[in-house]
Amino acid sequence: MSLVMSQILNAVMLGCTYSLVAIGFSLFFGVMDVVVFCAGDVAIFGAFSILAIVTMTVLQPVLDTFLPQYVTIFLLVSFSAVATAALMLLMYKLVIKPFEGKSALMPLLSTIAAGIALSELIGIFYPQGRNPQAFPQLLSSDATVLGGMMSERNAIIILATIVLVTLLYWFVNKTKLGLAIQAVSQNKEAAIMIGINRQLSITVTFLIGGLILGIGGFLVASYSNIVRFDMGAMYGLKGFSAAVVGGLGSIYGAIVGGMIIAFIEVFVSAFIPGGTAYASVAAFLMVVVFILFKPEGIIGEKSVEKV
Amino acid sequence: MFSKNSVLALLVSVVGCALLYIALEGSILVALAVLVLALGLMVVGERTGKVDLVCRSVSDHKRISLAVVSVFILILPFMISNNYLLHVAVMGGIYSIVTLGLNFQIGTGMVNFATAAFFGTGAYTSALMATKFGLSPWLTTILGMVSAASLGILFGFPALKTRGYYLSLITMSLQVIFTLMIINTSWLGGPNGVPGVPAYSIGDVSLRMPLAIFGLDLPYQANYLYLVFILLGLTVFAALCLHNSRTGLAWNSIEQDEIVAITQGINLTKMKLLAFALGAAFAGLAGGLYGHYTSFIGVEDFTFSKSLVFICMVLLGGIDNPFGVVLGALMLTIVDEKLRDFADYRMLMYSLILIVILLLRPQGLLPKRIRQYQAANKMREAKAWFSLKGERSSP
Repeated sequence: MSLVMSQILNAVMLGCTYSLVAIGFSLFFGVMDVVVFCAGDVAIFGAFSILAIVTMTVLQPVLDTFLPQYVTIFLLVSFSAVATAALMLLMYKLVIKPFEGKSALMPLLSTIAAGIALSELIGIFYPQGRNPQAFPQLLSSDATVLGGMMSERNAIIILATIVLVTLLYWFVNKTKLGLAIQAVSQNKEAAIMIGINRQLSITVTFLIGGLILGIGGFLVASYSNIVRFDMGAMYGLKGFSAAVVGGLGSIYGAIVGGMIIAFIEVFVSAFIPGGTAYASVAAFLMVVVFILFKPEGIIGEKSVEKV
Repeated sequence: MFSKNSVLALLVSVVGCALLYIALEGSILVALAVLVLALGLMVVGERTGKVDLVCRSVSDHKRISLAVVSVFILILPFMISNNYLLHVAVMGGIYSIVTLGLNFQIGTGMVNFATAAFFGTGAYTSALMATKFGLSPWLTTILGMVSAASLGILFGFPALKTRGYYLSLITMSLQVIFTLMIINTSWLGGPNGVPGVPAYSIGDVSLRMPLAIFGLDLPYQANYLYLVFILLGLTVFAALCLHNSRTGLAWNSIEQDEIVAITQGINLTKMKLLAFALGAAFAGLAGGLYGHYTSFIGVEDFTFSKSLVFICMVLLGGIDNPFGVVLGALMLTIVDEKLRDFADYRMLMYSLILIVILLLRPQGLLPKRIRQYQAANKMREAKAWFSLKGERSSP
């Protein structure tokens, strides 16, 4: 029983990391109708920026001397989240904005290319960037909570996701800017007509998406304890799959989708003999089946094409 | 009989071959310079309207261009300075066949990220049939084509229900599944690949023997160069026939607008599956050639990034123009192999080239041209006959 329970918690945790990148995909898709494929690589860039600060500078020990440990971590993660937000905005300017109003194929390919370029740049310019890097154990995995069921690290991953999603919920539904973003994603022309600054909404969406991706990158690196320069492609693909399974454009769908993908992966590798190698295969097969039979996702509106 | 147009056609073909030869022989900078020069020539030509003239003269004098290209391929092994460059030319030919197949799907508006899986299916089927069952490589290549086409139909089914991003995600997923299945199946060689794939042989003569003609010993790559380029010629011919047939027209109309295509009576199911099956068969043929040429296949040649490279080739060359696609594949293969010394920079280069093409010239090196139909040609000839100044005769 405890085996099942611990696997469930494990899946929830993995699901949290997938959900965050899926939320990024959904936000961008909602506001601009593009799939920003470099999201995974941007997230991993965030993880590398934390790694660089911790291993190459003395910032962490200096901060640790007069601040509590969690404040230091919070500062580090905020820094990397700001960096990824800036990077995301740069990506928007470079490879998404020029293709506005053109065939959907173009931003798809340009963002894939941008993601590869980003990961290759990390691989080339980060010292020993092509080898897997041990990610610093900022969150301790020894201390446990819930009667030994879950390590403190995992609890923090889940907690951080819940806090983030709550904040996002508040922002999207309770602030004027958030409502403006919703309006833009529902109907671009109508939103412009009632005086919403569409460009501002898009910029803010990309900033927020970038922040979330940065935090997601930190969590996924903490979860797997290592970072590799090319991890972003797979992370992004899983995140996009999660967004599609949940319903592209829906934030709650992204969370549901992330959980489903994570549960399938964890359960296939835990309970099917020799299943570890086939965990991703099962997850992707499920995605294919889902797109074929329920393309609008679990939470999503069915779109009917009009001539 | 030597009209102005035939001289022009001759000149263009010779210059084209010469540029490719210079790119092949020169350093990386020379290859990139040739690429930029070709792009510059195209842009200038389009501005001044010369491109129409050139295209018309080449299409009016196909035989001259074909003869020039054939002679160029025939004498290439004699002119080239080392065997490695010959290998690059062979790989360029193999990749051209793959991209011709991928072009069918992209020309139908379905961006397929699983081309490397089709290429790999052909290579693995062919290699395993030959190594495990000892079948003739010629036979196994055909089997590879058949199995790749079957996989193409299987992968094509999702295209019937979805499109756009969803279809792209499906093909990506299938590509990743393909790679993972190869790695995890030990019978398929797993991560170690399949070594010792036999070479083709004609009678008792293996193609992996040096070729001796005119008292010269040509390296064995020359055999494969001839084989691959004969097959490339056939596939280009097939692709052109398809492009000019009703099928090609139907594919393009599906790309423009699916609903309009349906109302015009186009059978979407048949056409989409055909695009996948034929494209996959081309890729499977190329995969078989690749396996029997290099004698070793490994899973890293058939990954997602390889699929992306193929898409990059199609986009660079020009979507839906068979000549453009071949040109794109040849140029990118040359540039890629020149970067072998800087292996770490290869994917970076591909991604940057892709972004730059998309930003600056999304139609590619040789953009697709408006179809010329028999009636239009006849009309043009008639107008020329009456020596009317019908520069832009066809509407």
